[in-house]
Amino acid sequence: MTTKTISKKAFKEFVNAIIAAEKVIGVQAKGERFDFAELTSADDLRLDYDVTLQAPKKYFLPPCETLMTFEVGGGYQSHIADEPFVLLGVHPYDVVAIAQMDELFSQNNADVHYLKRRANATIVAVDVVTASKNVFASSMKTATTRTGFDILLTDIGNAYVMEIATEKGRKLAAQATATVASADDLAKRESIWKANEKGLNKHPLEVNPEYLGKLLDKAYDHPVWEEKAATCFSCGSCNLVCPTCYCFNVQDDVNWDLKTGQRGRAWDGCLLDGFAKVAGGHDFRKKRADRFRHRLYRKAKYVPAKIDGQIACVGCGRCVGACLPDIANPVSVYNRLVDDLGIG
Amino acid sequence: MCECCSVEKDIYLPQTATVQEARILNATEIFVRFGMDDGNFDYVPGQFVEVSIAGIGEAPLTIASSPTFTGGIDMVVRRIGNVTNAIHKLRPGDKIGIRGPLGNGMYPVAEARGRNVVFICGGIGLVPQRSFINYVLDNRDDYGDVAILLGTKDPSQRFLTEELEAWARRKDVIFIETVDKGDASWKGKVGVVTTLISEIKDTLAGAVVSVCGPPIMYKFVLMSLAEYNIPADDIYLNLERKMKCGVGKCGHCQINNVYVCVDGPVFKYSDLATLPEAI
Amino acid sequence: MSKPRVAIFDFACCEGCQLQIVNLEEEIIDLVGAVDVVEWREASTDHSDEYDIAIIEGSITRPEDEQRVKQIRSRAKVLVALGACATTGGVNKLKNNFDLDDVKRAVYGKDAGKPHLGTAMTKAVDEVVKVDFHVHGCPIDRGEFTYVVRSLLMGKTPEIPEWPVCVECKSKGNICVWELGQVCLGPVTRAGCGARCPTTRFRCFGCRGYIDNPNVDAAREVIERYGLDINALKEKMILFASKQEPTIYG
Repeated sequence: MTTKTISKKAFKEFVNAIIAAEKVIGVQAKGERFDFAELTSADDLRLDYDVTLQAPKKYFLPPCETLMTFEVGGGYQSHIADEPFVLLGVHPYDVVAIAQMDELFSQNNADVHYLKRRANATIVAVDVVTASKNVFASSMKTATTRTGFDILLTDIGNAYVMEIATEKGRKLAAQATATVASADDLAKRESIWKANEKGLNKHPLEVNPEYLGKLLDKAYDHPVWEEKAATCFSCGSCNLVCPTCYCFNVQDDVNWDLKTGQRGRAWDGCLLDGFAKVAGGHDFRKKRADRFRHRLYRKAKYVPAKIDGQIACVGCGRCVGACLPDIANPVSVYNRLVDDLGIG
Repeated sequence: MCECCSVEKDIYLPQTATVQEARILNATEIFVRFGMDDGNFDYVPGQFVEVSIAGIGEAPLTIASSPTFTGGIDMVVRRIGNVTNAIHKLRPGDKIGIRGPLGNGMYPVAEARGRNVVFICGGIGLVPQRSFINYVLDNRDDYGDVAILLGTKDPSQRFLTEELEAWARRKDVIFIETVDKGDASWKGKVGVVTTLISEIKDTLAGAVVSVCGPPIMYKFVLMSLAEYNIPADDIYLNLERKMKCGVGKCGHCQINNVYVCVDGPVFKYSDLATLPEAI
Repeated sequence: MSKPRVAIFDFACCEGCQLQIVNLEEEIIDLVGAVDVVEWREASTDHSDEYDIAIIEGSITRPEDEQRVKQIRSRAKVLVALGACATTGGVNKLKNNFDLDDVKRAVYGKDAGKPHLGTAMTKAVDEVVKVDFHVHGCPIDRGEFTYVVRSLLMGKTPEIPEWPVCVECKSKGNICVWELGQVCLGPVTRAGCGARCPTTRFRCFGCRGYIDNPNVDAAREVIERYGLDINALKEKMILFASKQEPTIYG
């Protein structure tokens, strides 16, 4: 690992050099908001963004992708995307989310479609400059991260501190004109980290996130699920914008020859009506409240059991903003449970 | 093998298999026997496969045969959706796609050895049980008394009747059958499957009990079994859920924290006790 | 296997959904190659009473149309309702909010009483005959239509979304148009259009009809949260959701 400092001017040149060499996905303005999109010029890059509309998961688990092609009466052929790219401007909470997804898609039955895309990615993370209006990453301990990226950038005013963490990062950074970071630069970075670890907290969680699993052990029949879900549209917006939701649906379509075709997968959401419905019509999670509860149990209990206790909510706040009736905010539910059930 | 991420296979990719036999059993059920084109298929009773019909889709179906039978892999399929409708059109020689065997929750073929075994089946729930039943019958000396209870909605929905009759004829098997609603031709018992449980009191003592049927059936069967003090450790339930990917990723089949497709589909009842969504 | 014979019929509508089929461009060659189009007034002079698949565009607004659609149903193995007018009654159902005589006078003036202008309450096709498949939308989505046709040719039931437009809108990474100050019906409207309108920063009008279980309480809550009057929502819903159940209209 090496830590360098790169001036903003040199950084721009560096970005343009990468763009000339390979596919770069970077954060850019999209209307009044920001999102990841293919970058054609360093001028469009907005590392001062607050939060992106979509989570970067879409580059590893796209909203819709072809898993395989087939021939009726014949066999199936895997369709695996294979194109290297640089993902530029990932916030620490999203880096943590990607690391969780990496584990979930690797463990037990490894998913080659996800992992191939992931292996092709070089992740350039960036520490948060502007707090979004719903971020609570400080509460989830994901406001900063020391792992999960190939390069980490920290804006220290006229320059970026550039931590090169992996071999991939080193290869990429070889194109950058940078100097070894001074003690002063590192101190500036340290103070930014300290500030973010406290300050990205628009919805403070009243307990240590590690405690959430235990809290949920006592909360299954709490009235909050019914109360909140009473105004749930079951629109799945909270699932779809979430950086750690990864449920999907699979569907076949044929070409007009009616002989060849493809099997694709698309994002799905456990809040959607019919998510647990089997052929024949029986729906195993028919009530809105049950689906609403399932998501928050997944985030703080079910998924953590698979990833070494990590809470599968990274505090990005996207669901808070995406939920029209304003019921999706995990903090407001968890805090309500803390208030009613105590932490003893 | 993918070089950069060292994943050896695509878990979603079906292997081809060929239909050996396809026989319509009644208005809704078809019996299909198939063989894998590459010959490889080792399974344990209770496991399932994801069956692909190209262009239509994929559906999870439990294996109906026992691994003790080497002449092919059996399924009995109710027409209920796109894939199962397409399966009803299969003819010998047709190609299908198979992923599996899937599921780590299997029938307790080893644990049940030396003990009585009771099968409680509701309707199409007979199909997964047949794998375990045939396994036990093919290793008959390894097990104690065997009782099979079967409840079907009405006589027209019965299937594999020749096998049922063969079980009924066997001296070393108690086979009792009922229908919820009889008709003019039906001479047998009428009533739900739970009404049969009292008839096998003796076999139930110390037995391993295996249950499979429609969602509504489990609650009532478990209430009856509680009356006979069958420990939750000795009751095995084969659960149906929407097992879309079959490999623990897509999320559709979750019962609380448990994935039916990888942790089941057969569960020890004692392992489900803490899962409110299970029964 | 011989190709299925397809007949396309229009009732009360603007015929814009048929136009979407005509506008399939290269794909229309594939479509007419895969089926045998035996009747399609908008694109062909052929006429036939022998068909397997009947595609009905438009709503049923006159007693004689009821008879005609019943006859079509009796001949067709499969009947598909095409477009909002056929699947839900669509814009034509606006009429059902008013007294029929007033409607006739407003539209036909002094000729309102003439027998050939006899008009009745608007009905969606499935209010008159059994509909096997619905292709929603005003106009239909071409991609969804061709998917439905291919599914029928494969003998499979097409998977039409049960979920709302928000799913497709969020999958596209759109800014929610509620944030832009618009009253969008996406959360209660059936997806399948690819969130066509909100993707262009224009509110969803609900042309595909309600999802199976729209949460009307949630809609009220959101209206209050955004400081709007419930009428702001009602007046948006009247266009495509008049007299649909469940509704908060009226």
